[in-house]
Amino acid sequence: MTASITTRRAPAAPAARVLRQRAVQAVGVVFLVSTACFAIVQSLPGDIAYRIAAGRYGYDQVTAASADTVRAELGLDRPAWQQLLDWLGDLISLDLGNSLVTGADVAGELGLYFSSSLQLAAAALVLALAVGATGGALAAARPGGALDRITTFWVSGARALPPFLLGLVLILVFSVHLGVLPAAGHGEASNFVLPAATLAVGLSGLFARVTRDAVAQIRQSEYVRFAATKGLGGRLVFLRHVLRNTGVTLIAYVGVQMLILIEGVIVVESLFAWPGLGHALVHAIFWRDIPMIQATAVALALLVVVLNTVVDLGSLAIDPRPRRREVVL
Amino acid sequence: MSMRLNHLVVSHADSTLVDVATLNFERGRPVTIVGESGSGKSLLAHAIMGTLPANLTARGSLAMDGRTFDLSDRANRRGLWGRLMSLLPQEPALALDPTMRAQEQVAEGAASFTADSSGARRTAGTLLAALGLGHASRAFPHTLSGGMAQRVAFAAATIGGAPVLIADEPSKGLDERARTELAGLLKLHLDGGGILLTITHDLDLARELGGDVLVMKDAHIVEQGRARQVLTEPAHPYTRRLLEAEPANWNHAWARRGAPPEEGGTALVSGEGLSKAFGGQQLFSDLSVTIRAGERVSLGGPSGSGKTTLGNVLLRLLPPDAGYVHHADALRGGRLQKLYQDPALAFPARVVLWDSFGDVIRRHRLEPARLEELMASLGLTPALLNRRPGQVSGGELQRLAIIRAMLLEPALVFADEPTSRLDLITQELTVACLMDQVDRQGCALVLVTHDNALADAVTRRRIPLGIRDLQPQDKKAFARRKKHAEVVM
Repeated sequence: MTASITTRRAPAAPAARVLRQRAVQAVGVVFLVSTACFAIVQSLPGDIAYRIAAGRYGYDQVTAASADTVRAELGLDRPAWQQLLDWLGDLISLDLGNSLVTGADVAGELGLYFSSSLQLAAAALVLALAVGATGGALAAARPGGALDRITTFWVSGARALPPFLLGLVLILVFSVHLGVLPAAGHGEASNFVLPAATLAVGLSGLFARVTRDAVAQIRQSEYVRFAATKGLGGRLVFLRHVLRNTGVTLIAYVGVQMLILIEGVIVVESLFAWPGLGHALVHAIFWRDIPMIQATAVALALLVVVLNTVVDLGSLAIDPRPRRREVVL
Repeated sequence: MSMRLNHLVVSHADSTLVDVATLNFERGRPVTIVGESGSGKSLLAHAIMGTLPANLTARGSLAMDGRTFDLSDRANRRGLWGRLMSLLPQEPALALDPTMRAQEQVAEGAASFTADSSGARRTAGTLLAALGLGHASRAFPHTLSGGMAQRVAFAAATIGGAPVLIADEPSKGLDERARTELAGLLKLHLDGGGILLTITHDLDLARELGGDVLVMKDAHIVEQGRARQVLTEPAHPYTRRLLEAEPANWNHAWARRGAPPEEGGTALVSGEGLSKAFGGQQLFSDLSVTIRAGERVSLGGPSGSGKTTLGNVLLRLLPPDAGYVHHADALRGGRLQKLYQDPALAFPARVVLWDSFGDVIRRHRLEPARLEELMASLGLTPALLNRRPGQVSGGELQRLAIIRAMLLEPALVFADEPTSRLDLITQELTVACLMDQVDRQGCALVLVTHDNALADAVTRRRIPLGIRDLQPQDKKAFARRKKHAEVVM
């Protein structure tokens, strides 16, 4: 017998495939975002050298001479493409450069910003999931009931209220009038409450809506009915079948909403003086601190990629079905 | 124990969907209800179980072990589920939670699961092993074949030791071999002293189960008796009609035509040295296939043997691992058409049917009159076109799919299990419509089916595909475990 051995490449483990795809995506994102940032800063009105000099020496000290000094020192008079290539070259060697204003090492400061932004985003996400998913699941128990109508109202209300306005309202109520929570600051648990809540309100409404629809649909599914006729009580059916399958839908949806979360982080950090990436980005733009703008923008983009990777791995963990079907037997 | 159903009436608004006087069930004696879709047979099962859709009302009573249950109260039997009565669902692939391993889904049905979950898991493992699924106990449902999923569902439905088992269309979509296995499983339940009520439109399953057969039509039972008698010497005209609808008993004019054309007829599709593997399993290798004009060929074999895959390779919808497929010029311009197993997935769900057909007519510049003509000859009223796919029956939708294929005057029609989801009478009507058109237009037909009787009735040449391996079943071990479960109860 002729041994015909068909060697077929073993399909990569799904988790490894996700990590590989996301790593490629991260590299692409870094180059696109930093190039776009550079182009936008170059096209902003006003002389960059003057703005940087103002940042360094104060507005009163800005003269044509000091601006020229800055320009010569930082090589701002070189053609734009040379400056961009310099930055990209440094990026490849993982050198983020120094702040044009303070002269501090960007990489060193970035770590701190990154971790505090991540903390804020994670706190907001956990809060939004806890409130939204619970509310949605309860609303689905009685479609058309009081709670169902409240979540519908909550969704439209929360979406209609932009984070900067909501943040101001929360500061007015809880910090100014009631005086129970700090309006700004960092480092203590109480500092988390208002910024995280501001971010979570909008998201929780969306999560509640998606959870409600998913739970209502899964309750009608064949496998939930079969679980009931197998003899499982209502609570067990919910815990063992409805919950996990809702998670599949909800986690995918969370992935889609990551951009909204990061967008909110930038606004909310500025509002609550939270020392994160968004706060740093806004200040860097103000002072035309190009290395800092690029580094924070890239870091924010990477934060989206990181959170999406976590979401992908999470949905892989609870849903074993293949994402692509090649052949139907 | 015994079970008795008294004066069951299921109604929706003013229409009566089920009206049955008295039905007796005894241990070890199977009761099978046959009939076409819409006869009310499934509703009868769900009325007993207490799982009717919310918009239907039931009247009547169910006596079980000296207790009487009012059937109008759908909640009073909830406590019996899994312990006294259990339901084997229609499509096991949908009835298993896609995110949970087989063994867990079986274990949770055990009465002891909340108190001793690891004990329940062990019991589930033994039960699955006894059903020949020891290797698949850690598998997720999407990796199981239809027959394997059916066995997992059977284990999950019976692990609680419920003496009453209701099986609702359990053989839907199963091939001959899986159906025989299923009949074996249901007999195991009977041998353990269980009560079995099976709802099916599959007369072969009814034959294999034996016992009593009830024939249902338009909400009423029109004939009942021993399976052997009812299914061989039917008394009621409707039962006779049902038996005649089995493909082996068909007698149509088109069945005698379409003989294999002499060698040298135009080859429409020719595949040379085709190989395809999927998931590490070689489905076929070095296979050469030629389909000639006017020919009627079937691709047969059990589910999982790769017949749909071979079909898709021949249609050039999938690339083969080795070999090549050549299509004749006669197939250009939409003159190769495919009919799908589930027509509901072959029409856009939210688009009115008329728009779907309008697109085809405009794209190929056809005469709109031709659509009317085909609608009439397939016995469909034009008003159906104003509805959406979900608003017409499965049989009607498949006939509409046939019309859509035939509008283009194809040289070759490729039909992939076109009637495996339909009941016997609807199947005969649908196949008759298809073959009538095939005959009239003289086009070639490739029929994918696991039903040998259907293949014999319709086609003249068969391309058989491989037989999958199955684990041997250890029925004795299963019977032992059943007894054990009852002692524990």
